[in-house]
Amino acid sequence: MMGTSKGFTRRSLGLGVAGLAAAGVRPAEAQQTTLRWWSPQTAPAQREAYNFQIRSFEEANPGVRVVFEATSDEGYPAQMAAAFASGQVPSVVTHLPHFAVATYWQNGLLEPMNDVISAVGTENYYDGANRIYEITQGQYAGTGIGNSAANMMWLRTDLMRAAGVDAAPRTWDQLRDLCRRTQRGGIYGAPLPYARNSMTSLIFICFVHGAGGQIFTPDLQVAVDSDAFRNALEFYKSMREFCPPGATNYSWGESLTGFVAGATATGIYTGRVLANVAAQNPRIADSITCAEYPTISASVPHWTFNDFPSVMIPKVAPNMALAKRFAAHLFRADGYIRQLHAAPGHVLPVLKTISAMPAYQENALIQKYRAEVDRMSTAAAAGHNLGWESTSHKPNTSAGRIIASHVLAEAVQRYVVNNEPVAQVVSTTAQRLEQIMRG
Amino acid sequence: MKPATNPLDRRDAWLGVMLIAPSVLIFCAVIVYPLVSAIYLSLFSIYTPTLQGNFVGLSNYAELLAGGEFWHSLANTLIWTVCTLTLQVVLGIAAALMLHQAIIFRSLARSLILFPYFVSTVVAVLVWRWLFNDLYGILNHLMIWAGLLNMPLDWLGSMPNAMVSIVLVGAWKYFPFVVIAVLARLQTIPDNLYEAATIDGAGAWGRFWDVTLPQLKDVLLVVVLLRAIWDFKEFDLIYLMTGGGPLIATQTLPLMVYKEAFGMDAMGRATAVAVAMMFVMLVFMLLYLRQAKQDAAK
Repeated sequence: MMGTSKGFTRRSLGLGVAGLAAAGVRPAEAQQTTLRWWSPQTAPAQREAYNFQIRSFEEANPGVRVVFEATSDEGYPAQMAAAFASGQVPSVVTHLPHFAVATYWQNGLLEPMNDVISAVGTENYYDGANRIYEITQGQYAGTGIGNSAANMMWLRTDLMRAAGVDAAPRTWDQLRDLCRRTQRGGIYGAPLPYARNSMTSLIFICFVHGAGGQIFTPDLQVAVDSDAFRNALEFYKSMREFCPPGATNYSWGESLTGFVAGATATGIYTGRVLANVAAQNPRIADSITCAEYPTISASVPHWTFNDFPSVMIPKVAPNMALAKRFAAHLFRADGYIRQLHAAPGHVLPVLKTISAMPAYQENALIQKYRAEVDRMSTAAAAGHNLGWESTSHKPNTSAGRIIASHVLAEAVQRYVVNNEPVAQVVSTTAQRLEQIMRG
Repeated sequence: MKPATNPLDRRDAWLGVMLIAPSVLIFCAVIVYPLVSAIYLSLFSIYTPTLQGNFVGLSNYAELLAGGEFWHSLANTLIWTVCTLTLQVVLGIAAALMLHQAIIFRSLARSLILFPYFVSTVVAVLVWRWLFNDLYGILNHLMIWAGLLNMPLDWLGSMPNAMVSIVLVGAWKYFPFVVIAVLARLQTIPDNLYEAATIDGAGAWGRFWDVTLPQLKDVLLVVVLLRAIWDFKEFDLIYLMTGGGPLIATQTLPLMVYKEAFGMDAMGRATAVAVAMMFVMLVFMLLYLRQAKQDAAK
């Protein structure tokens, strides 16, 4: 069962590690070395997988200690900024969205990841998996550790049946209709976020694209003064009545819990829903499915938010060769599969060699929700984010700063919570985006 | 002042310098250097992660004063400070008066009332966020059960609920400090003052107003001064409760400093806010102390 994985591991990593060793890791360096690993993905099952990866790396590298330090989706911009400013940077950072990597790269803060990609084996990645990290030609700012489909629409089939709805909504009107029919008895229609945080920004970007629009033109001019942007705001506002009152404070955790706990009839999240339902609310496990999030009309294609979870190494990280070796080690099949299985469907593999392995396929949740996982994989493969809004867009290296500034979430709050006129919201948002783009 | 010519005097002068030097050095290291650094940084446009930037003179201050966000945050800071401080003092005095009486389990009550002050802010906020939670919070459940609400209330995500919530939690968290200080003072007020007031026909309210409160004045002056400073620069409680939202409706100046430094990566603008904040606090403190001095003179 693990034969393929071991073969891959030995061949690819053996070559890579030999190369990195030749690049200057001496035994003396490994005597008393501590590597710091940061990640915002810190669910207990993921931490167990990380501990396995850390243990196996430490066993293979006597004298090296790896310390895992948790960050968060909302907190990493501040923590990374403080780390870079103080020079006390982590050795390896994983699972940050690709647009954050692009911003750090643009400011000369990251080490090229070419060595790590070679160590993992370029041929093992899905075609083009690292293309978005090649911001400077020939140099990779980071490498993908997974794919994600962050805005999948999760549905309760039992509630849909009870409401007389037999198909997943394709358009916003159909979604509103479903929410209206299912919202009763303490169950709300949807757990959309209306807070001033990154989730609200990311979901709103999805809605703008779902309205057929974009935040920036392909040559990165601000494009929010558009009907699509206004329609997205209008849709977001129209959904407020179907969301819990406290949605004005929701982020990823609250939104996920809303659906998993059975408090909402629909959800918007990655495949983490599967593991959480199985562990926390198995009562609804046979009544959930997912679909791509509806758009304004059937003629507007779905737009999936893939934040391309990454691996990056700060340029000033100490023990660089060891850090690179550890980064490559994270892709070793036995540990990587454990990571992926910690939340099946949440982070999808970037290595085709892993996807094909029985060890990966044989997970109970992946088998039970085969159709959903395939749907998410397909959606993620075609996914984009603010750093790369479409295949015709230039990489937006300011995307990380835009998300961290909450400009787009503020647009939602101004329109939905504060009831400011749409023209004023659009104008303020455009000005602030232009200001950030100017640097 | 003439220079010391006597060798003994010179030695004494040197001894004095040597003795005071450690204090001066520590003062410079922990007060003067950070202050001067902050003012210096506020004159630059600095990208936080790299700490690289260029000199922009006073333009950070000009932008700050011309924009609405600073004034909005200042107003929020004042509202938060005044409201939560007032509640802390009122609750603190009331609790101290109660604990000064001969009630059963007085020692236990005196210990328990300090609990909010000693519990970690992060833990306290987590608990309060659960209480305020729209779907599972006991506060909404109780109010719906009692017929006060039809739908759960959005305690932290809409105004004015968010400001009211943080003010209440702030008052709950910090009123024990007032209790400690006031209770200690209450125990030193001579009984004969109350006896004299009673003989003069003063009721309970009269005794409180004419005897207790004047006696507490000095301690309240210090308590209000300290708590006002601490509340003015409160960060963790507000950040964890609302993050400054909705929009910037509960964003105080410390949150704005944080947002500028680590959200917008603009360290220069952040230090400009911090310096402005320091001057605002200084002005209020000087006015307060001056007023207190004038009251004392009367």
